[in-house]
Amino acid sequence: MMTATKEPERVLTAQLEPAKLLLVDDDRDALFALQAILEPLHQELLLAESGKDALRLCLDHNIAVILLDVRMPEMDGFETAELIRSRKRSRHTPILFLTAYRSDEQLFRGYDLGAVDFLFKPIVPEILQSKVSVFVELSRSEQILRRQAEEIARAEAQFRAVLEAAPDAMVITSEAGQIELANSRADALFGHARAELVHRDIRSLIPEWTPGLPESGPPSLEHRLTAVREDGSSLPVQITRNPFTTREGRFITTAIRDATDQVQAEARIQQINRELERRVAERTAALTYSNEALRQFAWAASHDLQEPIRTVMSYSQWLAESSVKTLSQPETQMLDTIQQQAARLVALLAALQQYILVAESGENHWTSVDCRAAVDAANSNLHGMIQESSATVECGRLPVVTGTEVMLVQLFQNLISNGIKYRSAAPPRIQISAEAAGDLWIFSVRDNGRGIDAKYHDYVFGVFKRLDRGQTAGTGMGLAICKAVVERLGGRIWIEPSAGPGALFRFSLPRCREGVSAEV
Amino acid sequence: MSEVVKILLAEDNPADVWLIREALMRQSLACEIEHYTSAEDAIRALERCGAEAAPDLILVDYNLPTGDGGQVLAAASSNPHLARVPKAVLSSYIRPQEMDHILQLGAARFISKPANLREFLGVVGSTVVELLKRPSA
Repeated sequence: MMTATKEPERVLTAQLEPAKLLLVDDDRDALFALQAILEPLHQELLLAESGKDALRLCLDHNIAVILLDVRMPEMDGFETAELIRSRKRSRHTPILFLTAYRSDEQLFRGYDLGAVDFLFKPIVPEILQSKVSVFVELSRSEQILRRQAEEIARAEAQFRAVLEAAPDAMVITSEAGQIELANSRADALFGHARAELVHRDIRSLIPEWTPGLPESGPPSLEHRLTAVREDGSSLPVQITRNPFTTREGRFITTAIRDATDQVQAEARIQQINRELERRVAERTAALTYSNEALRQFAWAASHDLQEPIRTVMSYSQWLAESSVKTLSQPETQMLDTIQQQAARLVALLAALQQYILVAESGENHWTSVDCRAAVDAANSNLHGMIQESSATVECGRLPVVTGTEVMLVQLFQNLISNGIKYRSAAPPRIQISAEAAGDLWIFSVRDNGRGIDAKYHDYVFGVFKRLDRGQTAGTGMGLAICKAVVERLGGRIWIEPSAGPGALFRFSLPRCREGVSAEV
Repeated sequence: MSEVVKILLAEDNPADVWLIREALMRQSLACEIEHYTSAEDAIRALERCGAEAAPDLILVDYNLPTGDGGQVLAAASSNPHLARVPKAVLSSYIRPQEMDHILQLGAARFISKPANLREFLGVVGSTVVELLKRPSA
């Protein structure tokens, strides 16, 4: 019905067997004469010299046409024809009678027995060939038809086998949705006997089903719908539709997959995702809380601790002043030590405070800052130290960057004072320059000091990290503040390895607006 | 400056109270100090304060228990009897945004408490004298 096999005709005609022509005559000469006439047709000729022989051959072969002599001894042509007709296999085999007499009675009897024609002796070869050719052609057509029917049956069997083997329920419907065919998976899925499914509307199984789709082409994308079982329960299904057209109209193959497992898996994934999101939110909240707690702690450490230490410092000064004459030498030294250590703690806390302020610096307070002006301000703040050490600070053309002036002054001031503190025997010389590299400025701050061992290149940027504890009076916060400033402004700071004597600090800052301060 | 100057002081650290008294003494200021140790107490006093009891100067430490100096300042500034009284905020450190805030709230000065004794006595004493000399705006 729906199997549209389009095999080329030549396959069907390619190996057609020759038609079998049965020649029956008791006169052997006449038989040979017939044989000679029909030989050029290139068909298979079966010869019988009696009715009996003819009957036997009819049992064994599918005969295309029988040429039957009417007058024969024992069993004449009519009796033979009658018996031939009585057998199933040869009931419809065309019979041509050969006779010498034109008798109406014979003709009637012959036609009665199913004769298709009479040929009168003497036989005219051309007429015989022509008439037999018609039957040969008829036999060939019949053979082709039989093969076509076999082909169709084979294809349909194949189609049904495929349909049955499909992992999904398969339903073929008319365009209107009437079910024409369903496989056993469909029975199982919907809980109907197959006979019940055929001729039903598919929408009784899948209410939202639509024929959808243009003429032909690839199957529709998978489509999630709800199906209804015979017992009224519903289940999620995934359907794929594929239309095809035959002479009988347009049909739609609907593949239906039970999507229960898939839906459950999706629900599980969603649940896991929600759980994950919840945990991430919790973790984030915990981190935010702990960041805020740390920030508050840092602020308290730098600020609230400063109050008592400031009191310790000022009161010990008071004590030193008021008791300058009554204290012994060791007692005065102890009081000095208290003051020095208190002063140091005040300085450490102030540096820590600066560091925290950098980290807290909000972008909404940022403006364009001329780095050259920041270097000048830093030099001014370090005036005493620069004078005392006979240091020189050389500065090339520097750009304008985004940030706060305080942050950039801190950055340059800490780098310059670092170069002076860690000086060599020669007078300190600090060189500051900047160059553009893509969307960054790369700044260089080079000194001629003692240099920094490569193994400390990361260490020195840590909070309260110092080298040479005894010889320099730093808080250990200077480079940590530099790193905090640069990173807060979106850059990176590092020490250039093996850059000769002294240290070469480099840091990057994002380029914003164009603008380079004048060289001085 | 012969008459007794009345100063309202909100300060929780007794050590600083002592230093402030010392600074005022070294300026030879005869003063009566009304002292509160929490923001809550100071605010209550400032809200109730009438014209006859108004101090000549209000000194507020920024970090106080139960509130901050900004709240104390706000209470003082919103009392019409105290609107013209000079106000100063003291702290060992203040953040830039907090500085803007206290100036908006009517503080005439921010006094950073120096760690060094001499500096502390000097800056507190001179600032108080300067604020008292100002003609009430």
